[in-house]
Amino acid sequence: MKQLWVIISWEFFRHFKSRSFLIATFISPLIFSLIVLIPSFFLSDAGTQVPRIIGCVELDSTRICEKIKARLDDLFFFTNQAPSVHLVKIEGDTTDYLRAQFKKVARLKSELDSLENVYNTIKERRKYIYQKPKTRTREKLLRQTYEELLQARESRDMTLLEYEKQKARVDSAWHDALIRKADELLRTQTLEGYILVNREDFEAGRVEFHSLLPAGFLQIEPLRHALQVAVVEERLNKEGIRVDKIQEWLHPVEIREIQLQGENKQEFDFMVNYLGPIILVLFLFISIFTSSGFLFNGVLKEKTNRVIEILLSSVSTLQLMAGKILALGFLGILQILIWFGLTALLIGLQVLNIHQINFLTLQNAGLFLLYFVLGYLYFASIFVGVGSLFSSEEDAHHLNQFMRLLSIFPILLAILVLEIPNSLIVRLLSFIPPLTPTFMILRTPFGNPPEIDYLISTAIMVVSIVINIFFAARLFKIGSLLYGKKPTFREIFKLAFSRL
Amino acid sequence: MNIVVDHIQKKFGETPIIKDLSFQVESGQVLGLLGPNGAGKTTTLRMILDILRPDDGSITFEGKKINHHIRNTIGYLPEERGIYQKYSVLDTLMYFGRLKNLSKRKSHVEAVRLLDRFGMIEYLDVPVSHLSKGWQQKLQFLITIIHDPEIIILDEPFWGLDPLNQEMLRKQILQFKEKGKVVLLSTHQLNEAEALCDYFVMIDEGEVVLKGKLEEIRRDFQENMVIIETEENLEDLKKIPQIQKIVVENRRAILHIDKNVSLAPVLQRIVSTVNITKLEVNKPSLNDVFLETIRQRRTEAK
Repeated sequence: MKQLWVIISWEFFRHFKSRSFLIATFISPLIFSLIVLIPSFFLSDAGTQVPRIIGCVELDSTRICEKIKARLDDLFFFTNQAPSVHLVKIEGDTTDYLRAQFKKVARLKSELDSLENVYNTIKERRKYIYQKPKTRTREKLLRQTYEELLQARESRDMTLLEYEKQKARVDSAWHDALIRKADELLRTQTLEGYILVNREDFEAGRVEFHSLLPAGFLQIEPLRHALQVAVVEERLNKEGIRVDKIQEWLHPVEIREIQLQGENKQEFDFMVNYLGPIILVLFLFISIFTSSGFLFNGVLKEKTNRVIEILLSSVSTLQLMAGKILALGFLGILQILIWFGLTALLIGLQVLNIHQINFLTLQNAGLFLLYFVLGYLYFASIFVGVGSLFSSEEDAHHLNQFMRLLSIFPILLAILVLEIPNSLIVRLLSFIPPLTPTFMILRTPFGNPPEIDYLISTAIMVVSIVINIFFAARLFKIGSLLYGKKPTFREIFKLAFSRL
Repeated sequence: MNIVVDHIQKKFGETPIIKDLSFQVESGQVLGLLGPNGAGKTTTLRMILDILRPDDGSITFEGKKINHHIRNTIGYLPEERGIYQKYSVLDTLMYFGRLKNLSKRKSHVEAVRLLDRFGMIEYLDVPVSHLSKGWQQKLQFLITIIHDPEIIILDEPFWGLDPLNQEMLRKQILQFKEKGKVVLLSTHQLNEAEALCDYFVMIDEGEVVLKGKLEEIRRDFQENMVIIETEENLEDLKKIPQIQKIVVENRRAILHIDKNVSLAPVLQRIVSTVNITKLEVNKPSLNDVFLETIRQRRTEAK
């Protein structure tokens, strides 16, 4: 027993003083948390309080941009009432050439208007002549005005053609200038993106969004929402429905999310209560695999540098294995207690709001410790048994990587838990030992699992751990003295069941 | 203290490693466990240390099976040696001392005492990785003896040591013997074994092929081995009935003569049969005994 404590304290302190422990305790969790949180801060409007600037290019002067802007301002704003999306109308710069072209189009237009007048006047005159009694003069006048009418129509049509041609050219040049300017603003990152609208498309519910980055990444959801409202408003308005009422009807619905937590109900904050447990599981994962990883490398190193033989001449294999597993288990618990301490400190400094984070309870802390111990003992026994079979760090490294990959699997399945925490499939998966710690820790804040699930999962873990330790001890006993040869799976299997 | 190894057997899977092995070693005795590679020496030592269990037979210490207390009276220097590299010389020594049930204080005192005695006191706080290979091997030896063991088991202890450290180790083994400790020495270096051991157990393929004191072993070989050097054909020698076997090595021939006959007439007959440039009645070294015994076994096996 005394020697067991000697091994425990040696193993505990030698890893406690190592740089890897410091990294695993303070730096890895920080990096993991940042990896999870940073994208959500970027993708969330509420998190940043920095308004986004979106341009609006209107291809005809129908004031659509103003309407969209009004809806955006109504619907999306920060807590201080400032709009969260600014819609800026893009005005084009007019060059001398363009101004001359505009004048030319205007001249053609007035020319067209006067020709139209002339044509209409002739038509009126002919109508008047028709109404007169049939005389020779009337016939002559009709023939004469008919000639005039044909001439006037031809002149008008020719001018119309010229006008349309010129107008199309000028419009196109004008649109190009507008788009060029908007693109320039995009490139200089003055704008995050801009919408391109004209009356016809707007009424049909079609709007273009131009941006440097993919629109999905920029989250154009607020813009889409505001456009939808503006288009519906426009259509209802066209149907003759009162504008003031439209505003009232289209007022957005506010949904407050309340979650049942045992006997209590609490408001659900996505950021805190959805991402929080995932971070918690990552912490559990770090803790289990830091300790198991130390154990694995420790056994492997002692085997490759042959210290193990001296150790085994002093203590039994069981004492050595137990000493190592317990020492690193205590180290894992210390790591978790450090995290609990840091959490308490953050709560004390009011960086974390304990009332907002539903799952930060003593009971959950206890469950976290329980599933750490169970998860650690489960994986540690596998790592120590398998680690002792290898003689070269290179061979063992491949296996170690494979094991870690396998253990990340539960985290990948976590989405299932987040969707339906107490479904049959999730419950069944929680009772499969490698998944149990991760799944139960995830289910606790989300699904508030029934007590029986805790009991069954703990019992299954305890039985699996006993079986694992039994085989690990056998493998460790033979494996630790096996040098030079890489055992095959068949040999490992035979060793596990052979007489020692 | 004595160790009695009584008809032990050990198989790994279906392969027998130790077929039947018995020997005994007493206080103040150095027992040499000899044998070629793969003979089963290390497995035997591991069974004595209870790292492995024999399938059959028993190993007792003063009539008792190994227990926690007996284990703490054994010092073991394995063939496959290693040491923690990151930790200081003192910490490493103390840890292994504590594993042998020394108190923290006692292990500290003993570690410092040993380091001083073996001229390593200046390396007290130095990490093991900073020591040269020779110093590391010396430290491994100190780990073996930090708890002043009653039984010292050394597996290839001279392997990799420089002449200075070899001399140091030789002296230590003789001191252990004087102090009445039990020393079990497994080695390939037969000249060292010859100089240090009182009793030899030679094993091959898990069986004892030879055992006894050096003089007894030598006597057995001395009586029936004659070495001659000649350039003549040795066919005529085969006609001498007392010569049981002739082993030819270049110009040298080893003649095995029937142990039960007087040597002088046979020698006379040899001299009269062939023209000999050199004749030597062999006083075999342990090395000769070892080689000859193994060679004989291999020939018989064929």
